[in-house]
Amino acid sequence: MSGSKFISKIGELFGIAPENDESKKKAVKELVKKLKLRRISLKEELQAETDIVKREALKDSIKIIKKQIKKGKDILED
Amino acid sequence: MKRLFLIIMIALLSYAFLQSKNILSVSAGVAISLFGMLSLEEGFRFFAGGLLDKFLKKLTSRIYKSIIFGAVTTTLMQSSGLVAVIAISFISAGLIGLAQGIGIVLGGNIGTTTGAWLIAGFGLKISIATYAMPMLVFGILFIFQSSKKLKGFGYILAGLGFSFLGIAYMKEGFEAFKETIDLTQYAVGGFKGLLLFTMIGAIATIVMQSSHASLVLILTALAASQITYENAIALTIGANIGTTITAVIGSLGASLDGKKLAGAHFLINTLTGLVSIGLVPQFIDLIDLTAPLLGIRENDYALKLALYHTYFNFLCVALFAPLVQQMVTLLNHIFVAKKLEESERDDVLFISDLALDFEDTAQIVLLKETKHLYANVFDIITRGLSIHKEDITSGMDIEDIIKIRNHALHVDMDEFYEKRIKDIYGKIINFAILAQGKFSDTANKKLIPIKNANIRIVEAFKASKHMQKNMLYYIESENEFIKAEYNHIRRNLIKQLRNMQLIFNTTEEDIAVLLLSKLKLDAQKYDIAANKSLDNLIRTNKITYAMATSLMNDTTYAYTISSELAEVANTLFIHEDSDLKEGREALILNETEVDDMTNNLNKRSIA
Repeated sequence: MSGSKFISKIGELFGIAPENDESKKKAVKELVKKLKLRRISLKEELQAETDIVKREALKDSIKIIKKQIKKGKDILED
Repeated sequence: MKRLFLIIMIALLSYAFLQSKNILSVSAGVAISLFGMLSLEEGFRFFAGGLLDKFLKKLTSRIYKSIIFGAVTTTLMQSSGLVAVIAISFISAGLIGLAQGIGIVLGGNIGTTTGAWLIAGFGLKISIATYAMPMLVFGILFIFQSSKKLKGFGYILAGLGFSFLGIAYMKEGFEAFKETIDLTQYAVGGFKGLLLFTMIGAIATIVMQSSHASLVLILTALAASQITYENAIALTIGANIGTTITAVIGSLGASLDGKKLAGAHFLINTLTGLVSIGLVPQFIDLIDLTAPLLGIRENDYALKLALYHTYFNFLCVALFAPLVQQMVTLLNHIFVAKKLEESERDDVLFISDLALDFEDTAQIVLLKETKHLYANVFDIITRGLSIHKEDITSGMDIEDIIKIRNHALHVDMDEFYEKRIKDIYGKIINFAILAQGKFSDTANKKLIPIKNANIRIVEAFKASKHMQKNMLYYIESENEFIKAEYNHIRRNLIKQLRNMQLIFNTTEEDIAVLLLSKLKLDAQKYDIAANKSLDNLIRTNKITYAMATSLMNDTTYAYTISSELAEVANTLFIHEDSDLKEGREALILNETEVDDMTNNLNKRSIA
């Protein structure tokens, strides 16, 4: 752990430094990665699904994930 | 009873003060010292909110770490009581386990020994009042500052000042006593004396609610030769037992785990006390043997007592640290959570005044109690839909649930509200308001949404209650169209409730984030679809006007349940303690984004 990182950790622990954006971006990055994998598995599920109602629900989920991934990418690019 | 005791105490003390100015001096010393302790605790509370709880969470992962944590914090704060309160409050909030809590209590016992050394080695040997005066002046000066940290520092300084001043008064009183009366003439020797003075020590500590104050009193009396060394040892054992009674009384309002910890504290100190009573002669020999090695003079009984106090508490740790897990098992057997009967009134599980001491604890307790309220409301909403809560978690196909549960399930919603919701809801709101008034704006930003989630939960219940009457009537209706519509409402709500359960139970963050957005989208989609269907039914005269009115109202109630619970899930999920908290909040779709999606889907379906 570098010196500055150590100081910021101690600062966070003592509540005198705000939690930095980096930790938020790291969390978003991880979540986006998981969502991408989830989208792939949902698409596979959609291909195999024959029930119309369930297909609709899967399509909705894929659309939501697409929007969430886009949101995540916007945050990461900021 | 309490009031009678107070009146007797006042009468006795008043009589004693009239008889002897020295008793007044000693009592004033005790009172000032106790006030100092209160001030010291108040000061540490200013820092504890943001600091101590963070340390507590990180540094108590293992028993030995908990013991070190307890010892260090008690040494710094000179109050095992405050450390025990913190531990009870964190256990109640589920932040640490019972084993860690016991570790902290054991460490706290070691921490208290430093106080005895400070008083015996420093407080009784110099003119301590000289140091007290500037501390009091600067302390009060800092208390009047607006900065919370300076204010806290002021309380600590003033607390130390008052404690020192109290010791000075006690010392003065006992010194003066020496010239007029020799209290050692009341000394009782032998085993009988040990038992008697142990009892006196315990009672004095229960009355003063501070083992530290008792110890100061014992040490000053011993230094002034007003009590014998053996009797002082017995009083010290008593003080260690008495302090646990204070914790037991304090834990009456705590959660079950808080009670377990207080029980552990009582068991540890009482059993060590009993062992120590039997070993007093051996301890005296050990002290005589080891005191010269530490440079303690033969007739310095105050320091020898400090050494005894140290041995006592180390014995306590040596006896019980290896038995922590067994103790947890024993306490889990003694304190068993009562299973709530259907007809019984439910009450809060986590909320207690103790949880109001620290920001983090208050937030977590509020969150847990909100989940408790949600669980009750979840139960009644499912019954309102004429299904069982187990159907939701069963994994059974929704169509199958509708088929199986095709009869109305009669349940008294008002009675359920009285027994399972009203009290809990009231206490949660009261707790949240008290916490809001006590903590910083940053803490309030977390507390307010959780409080509002409770309001939403109850709104969902009310909507469910309004919907129930027609639901009971129409799911057994002979008009297939209205029956189908009500089953559609049931189907949709079962799906929503199922998704909520998944959100609370899943460990996959991405699933939860996806489902939270889906809850909102489904609520919107359902509302649009239900209104269209209603229009069709009215236009084609398939349902009567009365049915249409009921359906219109109940569609709105179903939407209220759905949307309110979606918001509740959102809030509870976001405020759950997690490293990914920031990320999960950012990726959940907001109202506008959900509206955009529903509009797009709607346009597509029209086209």
